[in-house]
Amino acid sequence: MSHLHCPFCGERELREFEFRKTLPGTSASPVARVYLRQEEQDISIEHWQHLEGCRGWLRVVRNPFTGRILQTTLLPEPAP
Amino acid sequence: MTGPQQRQGRRLTSGAIDFSFNGTRYKARAGDTVAAALIANGVRLIGRSVKARRRRGILTAGPEEPNALLTVVCGRELIPNVAATQLIVTEGLEVRSQNTWPSPDFDLASVLQLGGGVFSAGFYYKTFFWPSWKAYEPLIRRLAGLGPAPRSSSLPPPLVEHLSCDVLVAGAGPAGLFAARTAARTGATVVVCEREPFAGGELEFETATLEGLPAADWIRATLAELTRLDVRLLTDTTVVGSNGKQFVAHCEPGGIPCRSTVYKIRTRQFTIAMGAVERPMVFAENDLPGVMLLGAAERYLARYGVAVGRDVVICTNHNRAYAAAARLSAGGMRIRMVVDSRSDRDIRDPTARTQRDALIRSGVECRSGYFVAAATGRTEVRGAEIVTHSGSALRHTVTCDCILTSSGWTPALHAATQSGGEKSYASEIAAFVPGKQPHNRLCIGAAQGTFELGEICNDAHGDPAPELIPFWRAKTARSQEKRQYVDFQNDVTVADLRVAMEEGFTDIEHAKRYTALGFGTDQGRLGGTNGAAILAELQNRPVAEVGTSRLRAPYQPMTLRSLAGVRSGTQLRVTRLTPLHEWHVDHGAVMESTGLWQRPRCYARDAGASPAVAYAEARRVRERGGVSDASTLGKIEICGPDAGAFLDYVYLTRASTLPVGRSRYGVNLREDGMVLDDGLILRLAADRFRVTTSTGHAEHMLSHFEFWRATAWSSAKLAITDVTDAWSTIAIAGPDSRDTLLKMVDAQAQATVAALKHMEFTHASYNGVPVVILRATFSGELGFEIHCPPELAVALWQTLVGGGLQPYGLEAMDVLRIEKGYLTHAEISGQTTPYDLGMQSLTRREGDFVGRDLLARPAFHEESRPRLVGLRARDGQGRRFLGGAQIVQPARSDIARGYITSSTFSPTLGEWVGLGLVARAIKEGEEVLARDPVRNAETVLRVTPSIHFDPTGQRMRQ
Repeated sequence: MSHLHCPFCGERELREFEFRKTLPGTSASPVARVYLRQEEQDISIEHWQHLEGCRGWLRVVRNPFTGRILQTTLLPEPAP
Repeated sequence: MTGPQQRQGRRLTSGAIDFSFNGTRYKARAGDTVAAALIANGVRLIGRSVKARRRRGILTAGPEEPNALLTVVCGRELIPNVAATQLIVTEGLEVRSQNTWPSPDFDLASVLQLGGGVFSAGFYYKTFFWPSWKAYEPLIRRLAGLGPAPRSSSLPPPLVEHLSCDVLVAGAGPAGLFAARTAARTGATVVVCEREPFAGGELEFETATLEGLPAADWIRATLAELTRLDVRLLTDTTVVGSNGKQFVAHCEPGGIPCRSTVYKIRTRQFTIAMGAVERPMVFAENDLPGVMLLGAAERYLARYGVAVGRDVVICTNHNRAYAAAARLSAGGMRIRMVVDSRSDRDIRDPTARTQRDALIRSGVECRSGYFVAAATGRTEVRGAEIVTHSGSALRHTVTCDCILTSSGWTPALHAATQSGGEKSYASEIAAFVPGKQPHNRLCIGAAQGTFELGEICNDAHGDPAPELIPFWRAKTARSQEKRQYVDFQNDVTVADLRVAMEEGFTDIEHAKRYTALGFGTDQGRLGGTNGAAILAELQNRPVAEVGTSRLRAPYQPMTLRSLAGVRSGTQLRVTRLTPLHEWHVDHGAVMESTGLWQRPRCYARDAGASPAVAYAEARRVRERGGVSDASTLGKIEICGPDAGAFLDYVYLTRASTLPVGRSRYGVNLREDGMVLDDGLILRLAADRFRVTTSTGHAEHMLSHFEFWRATAWSSAKLAITDVTDAWSTIAIAGPDSRDTLLKMVDAQAQATVAALKHMEFTHASYNGVPVVILRATFSGELGFEIHCPPELAVALWQTLVGGGLQPYGLEAMDVLRIEKGYLTHAEISGQTTPYDLGMQSLTRREGDFVGRDLLARPAFHEESRPRLVGLRARDGQGRRFLGGAQIVQPARSDIARGYITSSTFSPTLGEWVGLGLVARAIKEGEEVLARDPVRNAETVLRVTPSIHFDPTGQRMRQ
C-alpha cells in the first residue's frame, strides 16, 4: 500500500494523505467507538484525509494483511 | 571506436585530459572512466581491501566493482566510495585511494596481517569478550568501513522527476530494446532506464547479427525507431528499487553523486532486462591486481580501446570464452592459454568447437580439464598455476601478467525478488533465476537466465550457447583456502565460509551475517552465488537448497542525499513567516521555531536573549502598552445557515447564542472528552463565524472541522474556509493601547472602537482598508486584536510602535499569561479535561457535541483527577522553581501528586509564580514540595488560586 486512489484527484502517493481512524461497527458503545480499534485481518474501514490535495475525507476499505485497497469513497457518500 | 591499443603504449596527443590519482598526474581520453584511464596508464594497484588490507586492483568494468572505490575531491568536498569503473574522467579530476595509509603501495595497517588473519570469520563476535572490547575498539574503528563520511556537504540536492508510463523497461541491452520496441509498437508509453551512458549492453563487444544487421547498426536502427515512437530512454540511470507501485530510478551522469536525478516512475508493467553479472573464478590469490573478469576485459577493449594486459591467461568453464579470446587476441593481447575446467567432450556446440579450433590454429594453447589453482606474484599477477582435476602431478606455472576469469553469469535478481517475486535454481546455467513473478512484472533476456540472442529474437545470431559446467572453486590444499577470495569487498574467503559452517552458521543468512558475505556496495552480486555454492559443497547439500541471501534495495549505492531528494535541510518542511518577519529581524528579534512558524522570542537587540529582556517587555506592557504579532494563530471561517449549530457540535462552548459583533472563549474537546484546543469564536454575521485556534493546532483544527463536516454534518448547509493567511493579527495590550489605537483608526470608527466592551468587536478601517478590531486579551490588560489584510500589517505595526507601544515576544507573552493563569499547550496537554482546567462554567448539559459521551464518565470527577492551581514559593522566600518538577506532599514525599506546568518570574509581583496540575485533595493554602530530581532542586511551594495577578479582572474591563 503506497498509493491511494482519491476519487476526486486520482491516484496519489500515500504521503499526501493523513490517516485519521479505524471505524468501529455502528452498534458500538461510545467508549468502544473511541477506544476500541477494529482489528480484523481481512478488512479495515478507515478514514483518511487527502491533506496535500483536495482536502477531501476518504472512507478507505482495505485488507491490512495484503495491503490491497478494496474501496475508496469520498465523503460524504452520495445518498443511496 | 579507434583501434585497440596496448596499455602504457596508448599515445595521447590531442584531446587528452589531465586528472590526478593519489597526487600523481595522468592523462586520459575524453569519455574514459577512471578505471579505464588508470589501466591505460599502467596503474594496477588501486587501493587496499577493507579488512585484510590486501593489495587490490580493478576487477570489473561496471557498478559491481568491489575493489576500486575511490574518494573524489570535489572542490572542498570529499565524496567517498565512488566506483572507478563508473566515474568519468573530467579535466582536473582529483581522486584518492581509500583504506590506505600512508599510501596504497606501503600500507602500515597491512603489517597487521603478517601475523596471520586477524579478521577471520566471526572476529567481532569472538573478540568482544576477551580480553575486553575496549582493547580492540580503537583499532577496529580505525580500520572498519569504506571511505570516511563527509562531515558536511554543500552539494546541491538532486533533481526529482515524476514519470508515469504503461511499460517501464529496466536495461537497454538487446532484450530490453526488443521489449521496448514491441511495447511501443502497440501504442504503449514506454520508459527505458539504462545504467550505462548508451544502449546496447553486451552487444558492445559480442559478435552478433540481429534481423540481418550487424549489432551496431541494429542498435542504431532500433534507437531511431524508439525515438519515433516517443520512447523515453534514460541513460546513466539505474532502477534501484520499488515499493510495489512506484519505481525509483537513479541517474548519475559521470558516476559522481553531485548532479544526480531521482526519477519516481509509476508504471503498469515492469520489464526487467537488467542482464547478468559475470562471476569470478575462486582460486588462491584470486584477488591479486591483474586478475579480472573476462567480460570486463572485453568492455575495456571495445569501449575504451584499452588492453588490460599483455600476456593473458583465460580461465573458464563455458563456451563463450573462446569467442572472447579471439576478440582480445585481435585487439592485440597475447593469449598465453585458455584453461577450461570442462573436459574436451563437454564442448558439444559446433560453433564453439570451430572457434576453439581456430584459436588453436592461431597458436593459442587451449587446455581442457585444467583449472587455475593459484595466481602467482607478490604485488601483482606474474603467472598462473594450472593443474588438472586428477591432481597436482601436472601442476605448472604459465607466465602472464593478467588472468581473466569467467565462471558463468548470475542474472540480476535484485528487482525480480522484490515485492513478492520468487527465485529458483537453474542447474543448466548454475545460477538462481527469477521464479514466479507478480502479474505485472516480466523478466527477460540474461536477467531471466537466457543468454543466447536467438532466444530473444528469432532472427539473431550471437555467441554460442555457454554449455556451462559449474566450477565453484579450485579444490586444492586446505591451507590455500584462506587465500581463496569469494567476496572481495568484505575479504570473505573459503576458509571463512568453512569456519562459519563448522561453527553452526549453516543457513545462508546466518553465514552472511557471520562472515559479511554479500555485505557492502556490491550486495553479493559478484560473490553471492559462488558463496552459496561453496557453502553447499562444504555441507554436501544441493545449491538450490542453500539459496542466496535476500537481496535488498537499493540495487546500486545511493547517497542519502539522493534518497532525501529536495526534502532535506531547510527544505525538509515549509518554514512559515508572518508578514512582519522582516521587521522583527531588522529590529533585533531573537526568532524561535514554533511548529512551522518563526516567531519573535524577544527583542533583545544586541543584549542576547536574556530573561531580563522579556521581563522588561512584560513590565512595559503592564505599565504602558505593548504590541505583539499574533498572525500565526489559526483563523477559520464557518459560513452558512447551519454554521451556528455546527459550531455548537464541535465546540464545548455554545456558539449559536452569540450575538453578532460579540466573541466568546471557545474550547474544543476530543472524542474522549479531553480538551483539544481553545480560541475565540467571533460572530461576524448571523450565518458567518470566524474562529481562532492556537498556532500549533491550526492545521489539525481545520482537519478536525472538515472531518465532522464530511461525516456527521454531511447534509448541513455550511462551508469551512481556512483564512489564516488572509488575515494578519496584531495584538495590543496595556493601559495605553486604546488611545494609541484610536489615534490610528479612521475618524468615523473612533466612537465605536472607543465604546467596545470586553469581547466585542467591530469593523473599522485603517487608511480606507477594512480591518476587524476585537477587544480581547491574553495578558489581562485592556487589549485589542486587530485582524488586517497581510499587506497592511507592516504599516499598521509601525504606526502602533510609533504610537509608543513596546513590541514584545513570546517570552513576555508567557510571563503575562502565567501571571493571569491563562492556558497554553502546557496545560492543554491532551491529558486534561475541562473540569481539570476549571472550565466547569463552560460545560453544558444540553445538545450533542464532540466528546459529550465520554466527558460524562464518572472517572472525570474522581478525587484523583488533577486541578489547575497557582503555585508560589513559601511566603517571603520568592525562590525560583521550574516547570516539569513533581509536586509531592511533605508527609508523603514518595508519591507524586501533580506537576508544575509552567512557571516564570513575575516582574510585576517580584517573585516566581507558576501553574500546576495538582490532585484535587490538595487544597488552596496548603504547602507542597516541588521536587526536581533532574535539575537537583527542591522548593517548598504554596498552592494558590490559578490567577496570580488582578484576580477580579478589573484591568481588562477598564
